[in-house]
This record gives sequence, structure tokens and C-alpha cells, in this order.
Amino acid sequence: MSFSINRRNLLAGSAATLALGAGAVRPASAQTKEVVIGALYPLSGAAAQIGVDAQKAFEVALAVINEKSDLDLPLAGSAGLAGLGGAKVRIVYADHQGDPQKGRAEAERLITQEKVSALVGSYQSAVAATVSQSAERYGIPFLSADNSSPSLTRRGLKYFFRAAAHDEMFSAAMFDFLDAQRKKGQKVDTIALFHEDTIFGTDSANAQLKIAKERGYNVAADIKYRANSPSLTAEVQQLKAADADVLMPSSYTTDGILLLKTMNELGYKPKAVLAQAAGFSEQALYDAVGPLAEGIITRGSFSLDLAKKRPSVGVVNELFKKASGGKDLNDNTSREFMALLLLADAIDRAKSTEGEAIRNALIATDLPGEKTIMPWSKVKYDESGQNPYADPVLLQRIGNTFVTVFPAQAAIADALWPMKK
Amino acid sequence: MSTASFTSRRKRQLAIAAVLVVLVGLLPFGIKDVYTLNILILMLMYAALSQSWNILGGYCGQLSLGHALFFGLGAYTSTLLYTKAGIPPWFGMIAGGLIAAAIALIVGKACFRLAGHYYVIATIVIAETGLLLFHNWEWAGAATGIELPFGSDSWLYFRFARDKLPYFYFVLVFAAITWLVTWKIENSKWGYWWRAVKDNPEAAESLGVQVFNSKMAAAALSAFFTAVGGAFYAQFVAYIDPESVMTFQFSLLMALPAVLGGIGTLWGPALGAAILIPLTELTRAYMGGSGRGIDLIVYGCLIMLIALARPDGLVGLFTRRKRSAA
Repeated sequence: MSFSINRRNLLAGSAATLALGAGAVRPASAQTKEVVIGALYPLSGAAAQIGVDAQKAFEVALAVINEKSDLDLPLAGSAGLAGLGGAKVRIVYADHQGDPQKGRAEAERLITQEKVSALVGSYQSAVAATVSQSAERYGIPFLSADNSSPSLTRRGLKYFFRAAAHDEMFSAAMFDFLDAQRKKGQKVDTIALFHEDTIFGTDSANAQLKIAKERGYNVAADIKYRANSPSLTAEVQQLKAADADVLMPSSYTTDGILLLKTMNELGYKPKAVLAQAAGFSEQALYDAVGPLAEGIITRGSFSLDLAKKRPSVGVVNELFKKASGGKDLNDNTSREFMALLLLADAIDRAKSTEGEAIRNALIATDLPGEKTIMPWSKVKYDESGQNPYADPVLLQRIGNTFVTVFPAQAAIADALWPMKK
Repeated sequence: MSTASFTSRRKRQLAIAAVLVVLVGLLPFGIKDVYTLNILILMLMYAALSQSWNILGGYCGQLSLGHALFFGLGAYTSTLLYTKAGIPPWFGMIAGGLIAAAIALIVGKACFRLAGHYYVIATIVIAETGLLLFHNWEWAGAATGIELPFGSDSWLYFRFARDKLPYFYFVLVFAAITWLVTWKIENSKWGYWWRAVKDNPEAAESLGVQVFNSKMAAAALSAFFTAVGGAFYAQFVAYIDPESVMTFQFSLLMALPAVLGGIGTLWGPALGAAILIPLTELTRAYMGGSGRGIDLIVYGCLIMLIALARPDGLVGLFTRRKRSAA
């Protein structure tokens, strides 16, 4: 297998992008058009690392777009955007510091001063709320890469699109998995919800409660606990008494650790633990509880296991590792990489840098999941701008690593059910 | 200083202010760029907010680091009245101001017995309590916040899709009003009482100044205008959540221009805002994309430089020049 993207090409590509970015006056190549995309991320403040990592993911995406390679991804096969005569894509970054007011102001600056053709962003959902409004007012498409608040796509905006899953889709996927277990003949009748009391836990449990009722699961216990509680003994005793088939916790790291330790002390072993990411995606939790976490299933947006089925995943991950100094792609950076690719693909098909034309191209998007680096079945936006085919993955903790067990297009093994202790 | 020269000085200041308002009001005829207008709007908003803060913190000497509570109350009152009952924000603005003033009186009743640092700490704690309450108040959008309805441009509902000028002129008038109120107060019974309370409450009390009532009046007035600013902010950004209107950072941002420009002075807040806001916006826009925080370093260094060179505030630059000229 040979890929024409190697380190040298990547560097040359970024150098070329930089040269263009500096606005170098080069009359000879003046006929080469350039497409500018604005990226809004927190680049200072508490979430700055997210923004810095996103820049690396975009850097890799730019290399794929602007250089020719034989990756099985949109725009990889040509240098630049073929639909615009090989125009290169350039990114202008703006720092919104997680503040909705700054996000709005920066979006307006990018649109009116930098003349961007489209926007991508923005990590915090509150910022996406104001950025998408500004984009709507100027008729510039905004593709959300990593905002997961379900309400964002429910506001009737015409220029807002989201390729990745929102929080309710994550919960739905967890029940899809339980449905699949039922089909396999497992007894999955009762579930127990266990959630903390801030917005994350409350929203998660509300969604799970609704879906459980719709799909005929009996909720044996619905326990809300105070976040960062010093003891969960009473709560775990309630869980043990309810004795549901599946325990579904929505907890941050410290509560998750306490939950697993208390369950062990009280000898409570459900058939399965199906967690809503958060603390259960953190390495710190697994370091703290060790073997107690064996067999736990949690959901995620991305898994490197996909490389076994979608070879481009491995290559993109290698490129990202080089760009970021050794980091693997994660839930955020994989979605950011993919978002820029999807946006550039739409501009390429639109053969235009006009907002309206790009919007129409985004609406016409119909990309099979194999041509992405994500576990999605495909990319096709519904009338609200949401891609309903953005399947999350479920990962089971086996030994010291995660194994993708769901959905079928991403799974590399069957789930261990009931989980071993 | 003779009465005549004092009166003429006050008249001159009024004239300067009028000229400034007209000059700033003419700026949009030359500046069409929305981003620059955005900076001007923020600058005027912080000038007005800091002027409001200055009434209590500067003139009356009651340092508050909890003004974000009043700002948030204004933003939430007008937005909730608008989204839940369809009441135009013009009414919400006044209602929010009155609610904030009432809360300021209740807080003052309990806290104005505290002196110095204890009062500062109490204001921080009360504002944080407000933040937590709004974080968990489902009906008011809790942590997800509230988005203002998106519709056609309307003066009645004070919303404009792309046009920045209505916001600009509103906030210009708002800043002018807060300045005018401060100017009026400087030469009123309250103004003298407040400065007496600031300098030495015991001595003031012995001379018959109603210390407690002075503080209460200053707090109510200051809270009212801060809440009007909050209501404006909500209309301007069209989205509010507790994090973006009620955090401690806002309390600091309201105090900072006054402290930098000259605390307890007529021109300090406006001068401070005119320097701070463009500085923070421009450094972020042109240096913030690197992800290395260079903009914040530059911003911090400049504030330190100003504080070292002019500990009494930038207004001191002008008075000194006058003195040496005389």
C-alpha cells in the first residue's frame, strides 16, 4: 500500500498553505483561486488545549484536501478543489475563548473582513448558538464539528449543519445496542439509571428514560445523586435491591470511580454496565479502579479500531500523530478533521464560494460511511441540518484496552454479555 | 477654588461631554465595518457599565465585585419577559433595572454593616449564589441558556439582523445618560454625602450625614443602570446563559475601566473603557489565533504598565498637564 502523503509532502503542503496565508503577492499564480474557511475555537482560556488540538486536526485535513493522495476520502484524489480549478483551501482561525459574545463578534469579523466562504467550529455549544445566528444572518454555512447540544439543530436555521451525533443520538445508540442484544436472545428487560444532578446527568437520564419507555424497557430504578458525593453507599444499595439487567450510569470521573468501588464492596454485579461516556471515557477512571472496570461498555464518537475496516483511519491517525507530537486521534479531533473535509467537499461540488451555493451542496451531500474516518453509516443531512446517520460507537473495556463492539460497521468483536467479573 | 470657577469648570465639562457624544455619534458615517462598530459598541457599553459601577464603587467607596449579579438580573428579566410573555425589551429593561435595584437594597440592608474587605467578599459570594441559582433554574433555561427569537428587524423588539447602528446609538445614549447622572450627582447633596462616606464614615456620621442611607441610594442607582446594561447586552448578543452574563469575570470587567481610568472620577470609566476594550478586542483578533495566549500576555503587560505609571488612574495624566500648564 502506498500513499503519496508522506511527511515531506505534508510539510511542503503546509508551507504552501502558509505562503498563501501570508497573503504573499505572487502575480504569476494570481489566477489560482483560494477558498477561505473560518474556524472558531477556544484558543485561550480553560479549553485552549481543545482549540490547539483542533488546529492540528485541520492542518492534517488541509494536507488531504490540498495535496493529491490515494486515500479513500473526499478530495484526496486531487490537489486542491477540482471543482474550482484546483483552488487551495486556507483556514483563518478565530479565538472565542468560550464566550458566546466573542463567538458572535469573531464570526462577523471572519465573514465581513476575512471574507470566509464557510465556518467550522466551535466546541462549546453556547458559542455555536451565537455563531450559527450570525452565519444565518449573513447567509454563510456553518458546519458544527463537535457541538453536541440537541437543541442546536432544532431552531429552524437554514445555514447550520451538523455531521456528528448530538447527545440524544448517543442515548439512542445505547438502546440500539440493547435491542441487538435482545435479538440475540439475551434477557434484557430491566434497566437502572444512575445519574448525577447537573445538566449533563439530568439531560442524559431524561433522554434515556424517554427512549426506555418507547422501546419497552422497564426502568427498575432511576437514581439521581449529588455530584461529587462523598459516599454512594445508599444509592448503590438501592441499585442492588432493584437488580436490573443493565446499569446505565451518567457520571463524571470521581463519581464513576466511587460508584465502581462501592459496587465492588457491596457485591453488586449487574449483567452489563452501559455508560454515557464522560467519566467512563477518562483514563483516570481506569487507572483508579483497575480490574473493577473489566467488561464495562461506554459510548464514544470515534475508535481507532475502525482502521481495521477503513484503512484511511490509520493513515490519517499517523499524519495527526506527526502533526500533534504523538497524540492519537480522539472523539474531538476526528470529528474536526472530518468536518473540514465535508465542508471543503461541499464547496468543491458547489463549484462556487457563494453561501447559497455551498448550502445547496451541503444539502445534496450523500457520502457513504466508508469514505469517512468515522464510524458513521453515511453523511446525509435531514431538513434540520442534522446528519441522522452519525452512529456513535460502543466500546467495551477488555484487559487494558477498549474494543469496539457496536455498531456492526465499526465492531471488531462481539460484546461480552454478561460481562465477566 | 471659588464658586464661579467651580461652576464654569462644571459647565466646561458638560460642553466637552456634549462635543464628545456628537463626535462619537458621527463615527458610523465614516466607519462601515461591522467589526469596528462591534468594538465601539462594547467600548461604550463598558464605559456605561463602569460609570454605573463607579457610582457605588468610586463615589461612595463601596467596592463591589458582584455587579455581575445586577447585570445578569437585567439580562434575564428582559429576556424572560420577552421570550415567555412577548413583552418588548424596552419594558424589560426598566423592569430588570427595578428588580436589580430592589435586590441591591436587600443585599445592602444585610451587607452595608460590613466594612472594607468584608463588603467586597460579601458581594462576590452573593453574585456567585445568583450564578448557581440561574444555573439550576429550569424555567429560566438553566445551564443551556436562552436564545432570543430570530425575526425581522424591529425597533419595538429592539432586534436587528445585520444592522449595528441601532445598538450603537442606543448604547451611546446609555453611556451619555450614565455620565450625565454622575455629573449631576457630583454637585448634589448625595454626591457630597457619598464622598464623605468614602473618606471617613465615622466623621461623616458625626456631621449628620446619613451613612447607611447614602450607601443604599448609591447601591440602588448603580444596580439599576447596570441591569439596563445587562438587558442591552442580551438584545445585542441574542443569547444568554449564566456563564456569559453572571460570572465573576463580568464583575471585574465592570470595575476595571473605572479603576484603570481613575476611580471616583467623572471621566475615569469612559477613558478606561476607551483604552481597555479596543485593546482586548484587537489583541485577540490579531494575535489570538496562535493558541499561545500572546494576546493575553500583551494585554496583561499593558495593564501593568499603566498601573505602574499612573496608580491614580489615567485621568491623572490630564490633571497633571493642566497643573504644569497653569
